[in-house]
Amino acid sequence: MKHREPPKFPCKLETELDRLSSLPAHVIDQILSQLPIRDAVRTSVLSKKWRYKWATVPHLVFDNHCVSTSSQDQTFIKNKLVNIVDHVLLLHNGPILKFKLSHRDLLGVSDIDRWILYMSRSCVKEFILEIWKGQRYKVPSSLFLCQNLIHLELFNCLLKPPSTFKGFRNLKSLDLQHITLSQDVFENLISSSPTLERLTLMNFDGFTHLNIDAPNLQFFDIGGVFDDVTFENTFHLALVSIGLYVNGKNDQAMGPGNSCKLLRFFVHLPHIRRLEIQSYFLKYLAIGNVPSRLPRPCVDLNYLSIRINFNDLEENLAALCLLRSSPNLQELEMLARPEETGIGVLTNFWEVDHWTSLFSQLRMVKIVGISGIRSELEFIKFVLSNSPVLETMTIKPASLEGGWDLIKELLRFRRASARAEIIYLDPQLQ
Amino acid sequence: MVPPSRRPKHCPDSEHQQRGARPLSVLLLVVQVYCLMSEVDMAVIKPEMMKSYIWLQTADGSIQQVEQEVAMFCPLICQEVIQKGMGSSKNYAISLPQRVNPAMLSLILDYCRFHQVPGSSNKERKSFDEKFIRMDTKRLCELTSAADSLQLKPLVDLTSRALARIIEGKTPEEIREIFHLPDDLTEEEKLEPLKNTTDDPRIRLLNRLYAKKRKELKEREKLKNVESEEERVDERSVDDLLQFINGGERDSKGTKSSKNKKKNQRKKDQLKDTCPIESIKTDKQESNGLNFVCHSAEVGNKFSTDLGETSNMQNMEDGIFVRKVDFDDVDIDDEIDPALKEKLDREVEDFARRLNSDWPERMQEILSLGHDMKPLRHSTKGNGTIRRYATRSNTVQYDLEQQPFERLPSYPTLLTK
Repeated sequence: MKHREPPKFPCKLETELDRLSSLPAHVIDQILSQLPIRDAVRTSVLSKKWRYKWATVPHLVFDNHCVSTSSQDQTFIKNKLVNIVDHVLLLHNGPILKFKLSHRDLLGVSDIDRWILYMSRSCVKEFILEIWKGQRYKVPSSLFLCQNLIHLELFNCLLKPPSTFKGFRNLKSLDLQHITLSQDVFENLISSSPTLERLTLMNFDGFTHLNIDAPNLQFFDIGGVFDDVTFENTFHLALVSIGLYVNGKNDQAMGPGNSCKLLRFFVHLPHIRRLEIQSYFLKYLAIGNVPSRLPRPCVDLNYLSIRINFNDLEENLAALCLLRSSPNLQELEMLARPEETGIGVLTNFWEVDHWTSLFSQLRMVKIVGISGIRSELEFIKFVLSNSPVLETMTIKPASLEGGWDLIKELLRFRRASARAEIIYLDPQLQ
Repeated sequence: MVPPSRRPKHCPDSEHQQRGARPLSVLLLVVQVYCLMSEVDMAVIKPEMMKSYIWLQTADGSIQQVEQEVAMFCPLICQEVIQKGMGSSKNYAISLPQRVNPAMLSLILDYCRFHQVPGSSNKERKSFDEKFIRMDTKRLCELTSAADSLQLKPLVDLTSRALARIIEGKTPEEIREIFHLPDDLTEEEKLEPLKNTTDDPRIRLLNRLYAKKRKELKEREKLKNVESEEERVDERSVDDLLQFINGGERDSKGTKSSKNKKKNQRKKDQLKDTCPIESIKTDKQESNGLNFVCHSAEVGNKFSTDLGETSNMQNMEDGIFVRKVDFDDVDIDDEIDPALKEKLDREVEDFARRLNSDWPERMQEILSLGHDMKPLRHSTKGNGTIRRYATRSNTVQYDLEQQPFERLPSYPTLLTK
């Protein structure tokens, strides 16, 4: 047995020295919540008082740090992880408000079903599950009983709720990545979770029509393959980031009387503040007859990021329509789609009339991935001559080729703003 | 401007205002305090620089005055001032909770003084916080306690994070040293749950027993959900028991020999395995436990598929568990001190007694079944689980060809008795 060292203050009692244990329980919970689970549970050997102080910690996070030994044997680590989670859950005493399970070696084993059942009984509010290996993990039906959920995050899972599932009443934040669920399940999930404020969807399959009916939605971030996206009742939606990862087939959608997707997209987004159009989404938006400007301008839009092919006429039309309809734009980012830029075929598109009211608030512009074709240069010239308050324009070409010519052209452009700086970044640098 | 003349302590105006216990307007407060400012020596008083002060009294009786905007940063003080109208004079000083001593109060006020100033950037605040936190742990704990009693949440967050950083990554001895915690856990200490996760299952078993003894019924209900986990852990000890019971000795003295028997039995298990494991048997003696486990994992998988069960991770785990545990046995026995061993043996004996209560009937069944090689199906509940279990280990004993990697039935009832 160890020897106790003599106390440093010989006149004081041990109980007086020990200030830590006498802190109120919620403070100790807070301290222990900020420790990795391993250290928190190890406090049970400190002293009699500390034996079960860890057991009331409301946040349980099981990640790569909780298995301390490093071993090449994946199953060994996985077994250890299962044991650890079982132990902790068994000895835990009190409500669990946050549960996160994310270990790189964890496959979608049936132990997780058991743990989710436990969570559903303990009124969990935040549930994060990341399955890094193996195929989609089928989430058990007990997860759908957790009506106290505020934040749900799933990675590499398959969702199939029971038919009696009526949505998550309190769900505010939903983050689904690499998941599979069917079309009606998705729509039911969104429409029956009325308090939903944040929605993130990445790399999903099983559904292709995104019909977002969420009256409280504020943040929307998706990236994947889908056929269309429509919003309903999303009047609070302020941040939208959409990436369509597949090059859509325009021919099928082209037809007379085909309403413009761009128009339909913006109908229910009156208060949009930040918009990111990524991958091929602009191509999707350009389907149909693009008007010269939107019927209602996006007065709140102050950040716009578009990935665009400067050679494609429809895409440029869509971009111009957007730019015309964003009078209060402050920051603009244009990313050229690298694989499609080649010889410039589109010319004279951006030589539009000079409207100084166009970019009256624009302060920062960033143009990335260009290769110096005609259309790109015209666009830069267009922006420079229509932005009276511009402060920085950052240009980063795709490659070093033709860099010198590009700079020569840039030097010549007239600038409406006397304060404008043109910053040229080398392609290799960040 | 001429400083106000000295007024008597009990200014009738101010007292009258206090009795009302209504929320005071700031102006009123300022006016009253201005009257009382003559109590304290002031170098120069300019009317446009009138600062309002709040009086605070700590548990030791000392009273001090603090700038209003600084003190109001603490929710508790704010509440006292607004709701109860306290703090505007020395007689009506706000008495602070006991956990706030003068030293801590001055620290807290330093914190408030910096943070209540609007306009400092996040970076500035962060660097202030970092410097602020640098103190010995005793003061840090006191500060946490004081901040909590004043309901000053940002400071509680800051100090608790600092304390967490101190605790993180240290051994228990170091933590005890730093925080002066008494080292008053005895053999219980050695049963720390997570330390022995992959070690001796008897210890794990005992962990559970101790935990259960302390918990309420609610915990036991949850245990039912982890019965498949239970089965893996306890398989050995019951096996042990049966071995021990079959050996005919029913007192605690027999347990030691039962352990040896168990080891022998394990060795027998290995012998009767098919070729792949035989070659590994020699490896067992080496300290290369992980390779060992690896091989057994593969074998386990193979066996389970042979049995027609789904190649479930849990089967593999059984295999690994069995093998690995055995391997560690040698080391574990040396580590446990005699007191613990005895305790363990006693507990094991408890089990034996419980199991023995039904033993005579079961003995009959087993003998009549003989070398029955029915494949065992996994059953989670129900009758006859113990019977099947007995069958399984019986066949292990008598029938050397029996596969050791079968999925074991659970016997949750045993533990919950």
